[in-house]
Amino acid sequence: MMAALTALRGNRPLWAFGVLVVTWLAAILFAGGFDSVASVRYLVQTASFLGIVAVGQTLVVMMSGIDLSVSAVVGLSAVVCAQVAAGSGGTVAVLVALAVSALVGLVNAAGLIWLRLPPMVMTLATGTVISGALLIYTGGSPRSARIPLLDALANGSVAGIPLATILWLAITAVAVWLLHLSRLGRYAFALGTSEPASRASGVPVPVTTLAMYAACALLAGVAGLVLLGFTGTSSLTMGNPYQLLSIASVVLGGTSILGGRGHVLGTVAGALLLTLLTALLVAWNLGEGPRQVALGLLIIALLLVYARERRTT
Amino acid sequence: MRGDLDLVWLGALLLVALAVYWRLDPTLPRPATITILSAQFLPLILAAAGQTVVMLTGGIDLSLGAVLSLGMAVFVTNPAGNVVASMALALAVTVLAGAANGALVAYAGLPPIIVTLAASFLWAGVTLIVLPQPGGQVPAELVRAYNMGWYGLALPAIAIGLALAVWKLVKTTRFGLALYAVGGNEHGAFANGIDTRRVKIAAYGFAGLFTGLAGIGLAIQTGSGDPTIGTPYTLNSIAVAVLGGISFFGGVGRMRGTLLGALLFGLLSNLLLFTGISTFYQLILQGVVLVVAVAVKTLAARERVA
Repeated sequence: MMAALTALRGNRPLWAFGVLVVTWLAAILFAGGFDSVASVRYLVQTASFLGIVAVGQTLVVMMSGIDLSVSAVVGLSAVVCAQVAAGSGGTVAVLVALAVSALVGLVNAAGLIWLRLPPMVMTLATGTVISGALLIYTGGSPRSARIPLLDALANGSVAGIPLATILWLAITAVAVWLLHLSRLGRYAFALGTSEPASRASGVPVPVTTLAMYAACALLAGVAGLVLLGFTGTSSLTMGNPYQLLSIASVVLGGTSILGGRGHVLGTVAGALLLTLLTALLVAWNLGEGPRQVALGLLIIALLLVYARERRTT
Repeated sequence: MRGDLDLVWLGALLLVALAVYWRLDPTLPRPATITILSAQFLPLILAAAGQTVVMLTGGIDLSLGAVLSLGMAVFVTNPAGNVVASMALALAVTVLAGAANGALVAYAGLPPIIVTLAASFLWAGVTLIVLPQPGGQVPAELVRAYNMGWYGLALPAIAIGLALAVWKLVKTTRFGLALYAVGGNEHGAFANGIDTRRVKIAAYGFAGLFTGLAGIGLAIQTGSGDPTIGTPYTLNSIAVAVLGGISFFGGVGRMRGTLLGALLFGLLSNLLLFTGISTFYQLILQGVVLVVAVAVKTLAARERVA
């Protein structure tokens, strides 16, 4: 019994769900409008945009990496899709956008593997290059586009559950298999625990890095497409909120920012928690400034409460 | 020795850039051009100096751009009624913001990346409360004196010189030594009786000071404030520091390298403008410079080991 309790205390992803439930109950009790089915549906729908990016982020954080280009990739995929759709139709546009997104991930991984750059530097740099490239590509004014496929995906629902949420859960299921059940996932965990040790024991570092960063960028691209479907317009900065929030979702979901420890499902709780907090701040009618302050403070506070690392250096 | 060789290379590159620049703009050596250029480069130089202090401890500050905007916003809203007092207040705010970042890094056991990323939200929010839209004012005489020269003196260049002189003094103190010690080997520094936490907080505080000065300089240069203008400085300050030979892992590098790096970066950006291509390419240049600088450093280090 004691052993079980200790295990429970050490299980950070489970904690994430606990904090989520408590916050949700508090929201229902102290703020109006969080108890209706419609509000729950809206929350899980909006959480799925962040959630899809965060699942991808989990893949790279687990191998001790970080992807600071996700915000740019979200914008990239939406802008490219809207631009291509104007000429060649929706299906081609979606495929092109996804291919470009995955390519960014491969470039990130290539920089890490062959140039030996720290992940933060490489992904920050690709993010900046993408922002510049998008400005040039669109001349500063991206298009809007209504693509029926994306429209249905972002706004439709099956049996009352939004399609975006179903997509998010499906992606999560695949990620659980990839990270926790497949061979590649074991390599990622090994790399996150100790890179020298895993190199020495024959972990194929290049393949793992390529796969995980490509998957992360691909998912950021998917999120961009769903967002495009949701809003009907693309913008160069539409991905910006997802930079910090995706990393925060991962860490609040109980995954160690140093890698090697955690679970994809925790990230789901993290994304829901952050979306709920954002919705609460909106419900209190705070202005843009106070809202950012409150969110920043809340994230820092939550990190302090349960994401502290034992000092390793 | 090796670090000095790096600086020689950087200096040589800078001379080449200057020579090209001189060909394109023959007014380069004139006081007026020097004043304008130094006013234009000051924010980047000082922001990179701030980033350098943090990187020397082995940290990184992703909230630098937000703190820069914060300093600018406090300064242009002129809360104290006169320029000097507002300047002091703005610097006090940015030093406190930096020290708060440092305290979180030192005491929370959280990696600097995630702490300063979360803090960037916080400081950007505070900036929006202080200055919701672009606006505010800087006295016109000050703007003119700063950008056009004051009795023939290039005020921004003097400000840069003063800030770096202060740093040179600080580096010779116990704190300066402790800074390199903490960045080089935190455990060793701690075992030798250095209060590593205090050193980190002071380092982030110093970064706040330099960043605040950068924000004030930018406000005087442009004559008003903008709550989001600081964002690109986060990446650029890192790129410049790395270009100047500051190691990502702390303890290695010198401020003069950062200065050379900032001048080179600034000149390259301006040269890009001379070629007449769109300013949109600036972002691509920044990303590429960052990647190339770090890659060259890492690959060179690996070669030396092998």
